[in-house]
Amino acid sequence: MHGRGGQGAVTASRIIATAAYEEGKYSQAIPMYGTERRGAPLTAYVRIDDRRVRERELVHNPDISLCFDPLISLQQAVANDLKPHGQVLLNVPFSPEKSELAGNINIATVDATSIALETLGRPITNTALLGAFSKATGVVKIESVEKAIKKYFPGRLGDMNIAAVRKSYEKVSPWVPAKNKVAPKMQVDLNVGGYGTLKDVSSWRVFYPVVDEEKCIGCKTCWIFCPEAALEWKENNKPAMIDRACKGCGVCANECPVKAIEMKRVEGA
Amino acid sequence: MSTQRMTRAQVPMEEMILAPGSTCQGCGAAMAARLTFKVLGPNLIRHGIPCCPDQVSKHPRAGAVFEGGGASLTGTARGLKALGRTDVKAVGFFGDGGTYDIGFQGLSAAAERNENILVITKDNEAYMNTGGQRSGGTPKYAETTTNPVGPNSRGKSEPKKNIPMIFAAHYVPYIATASVAFPEDLMQKVKYAKDIEGFRMILIQSPCPVGWRFDPAKTVELARAGVQAGVWPLYEIEHGTTFKLNYKPKELKPVSEYLKPQSRFRHMTEVEVNEIQASVTANWQRLLKADEMKTVVL
Repeated sequence: MHGRGGQGAVTASRIIATAAYEEGKYSQAIPMYGTERRGAPLTAYVRIDDRRVRERELVHNPDISLCFDPLISLQQAVANDLKPHGQVLLNVPFSPEKSELAGNINIATVDATSIALETLGRPITNTALLGAFSKATGVVKIESVEKAIKKYFPGRLGDMNIAAVRKSYEKVSPWVPAKNKVAPKMQVDLNVGGYGTLKDVSSWRVFYPVVDEEKCIGCKTCWIFCPEAALEWKENNKPAMIDRACKGCGVCANECPVKAIEMKRVEGA
Repeated sequence: MSTQRMTRAQVPMEEMILAPGSTCQGCGAAMAARLTFKVLGPNLIRHGIPCCPDQVSKHPRAGAVFEGGGASLTGTARGLKALGRTDVKAVGFFGDGGTYDIGFQGLSAAAERNENILVITKDNEAYMNTGGQRSGGTPKYAETTTNPVGPNSRGKSEPKKNIPMIFAAHYVPYIATASVAFPEDLMQKVKYAKDIEGFRMILIQSPCPVGWRFDPAKTVELARAGVQAGVWPLYEIEHGTTFKLNYKPKELKPVSEYLKPQSRFRHMTEVEVNEIQASVTANWQRLLKADEMKTVVL
């Protein structure tokens, strides 16, 4: 399972494992520990079997790969270690025929970000992908997924998440074999671990700030509060986003006294 | 006491950090680091102990273990003194775990010796780097991963340690609290503290969207609500006696405005909110009295 911190990949791994357990199977949910942060790419694993599982290692060659993030869904790295005829379920707004992922794999897609925004109001895509997972792979029944979700999210939050599951159960595309068979040589490494300065975090954001220069009064409030120094102060006394530095937190738009900054959804995210 | 106030036009344009850093979206600590190092400028040796990644800065950096914050700063300060480099400052940028709990004894000893060091704490009120375990800085009733709410638990059962007053009781030259929502006030305090001789400490409340569980866009809004409600009052103490309250609204906002947007407090009942309100109001009255007398009794 590939996702970003805050999208709930780790919770999703627990929900799937719990759902499989509810059906009488043996299951494990394993988060990959490192310096996970909200917005940074991360991985979690699930192992399911009819017999007791003695192995405790991370899953290096999975049967199924799930991608919770639209931009990570475009990276070849998510499909590389799959077994032959492995399945990749992507969160992207287009059909599986259009995916560029290569290898002896099958691809299915669902627009989980839109489903999450519709049902939860926030781009937390984990449950919005689980319905699709249940339908497309048949590993766990949707009833068990709902049961597991109720366990993790009691009350109203659970109902909202179950609505997301049902919606994605209906909307997932059928499996399509990947059109490219050979993986490209140039690949992006998904691991962005550790401390320090990062080169480019433009893929972290779901929303990005757009400045209305007519409305802007040049008070520097957005600039002073930006945690990443991602707003450049231009010579005409107006701010501009630095593409590689903005993580899309939305503090600038929230603090602007004249509401001259609007957070727009990144296309394809 | 810093008498003037910094204006927005006086905020240095030059960045001392190398952004983007590896923090979460909307990180309060990243804001605190950016604003602090803007004022401190290039002439310092930065000391770090295990804490959340805030921002990498363009300074030479020394790392130490959790307990070693005070000791390593002492070594650098003494070394600089021996070399006669009064222009270079020894600065520690620590988290609340390294100030309130694990690093406390080393810092307390350094304060007692009145070492010539500047300690800046970004207080996100738990061990957020390792997944949000409770610390001495966690406020009462806050839910953390080690204080889950359940049938027998209402979150943390003890109040937050009053660390600014504890360090003030070491009778050190300068202690101040600041908030990321008041950047001019924060930067003025850092600027003032920079050139004082002796132990000085600035505690910056920096909200953590992941650990406190709120929308990252509301980081500053929440920090402001905390100050306006009197939960995190902004004040300065010199030599453990002279006291000044920097932000005095005519009327405090109700604490519920600060508590409600945070999911770590969502289990709180009205009785519990009232209890927090009562303790905050009582504390505020004491601070107002101290401000009137311009002195604090420790």
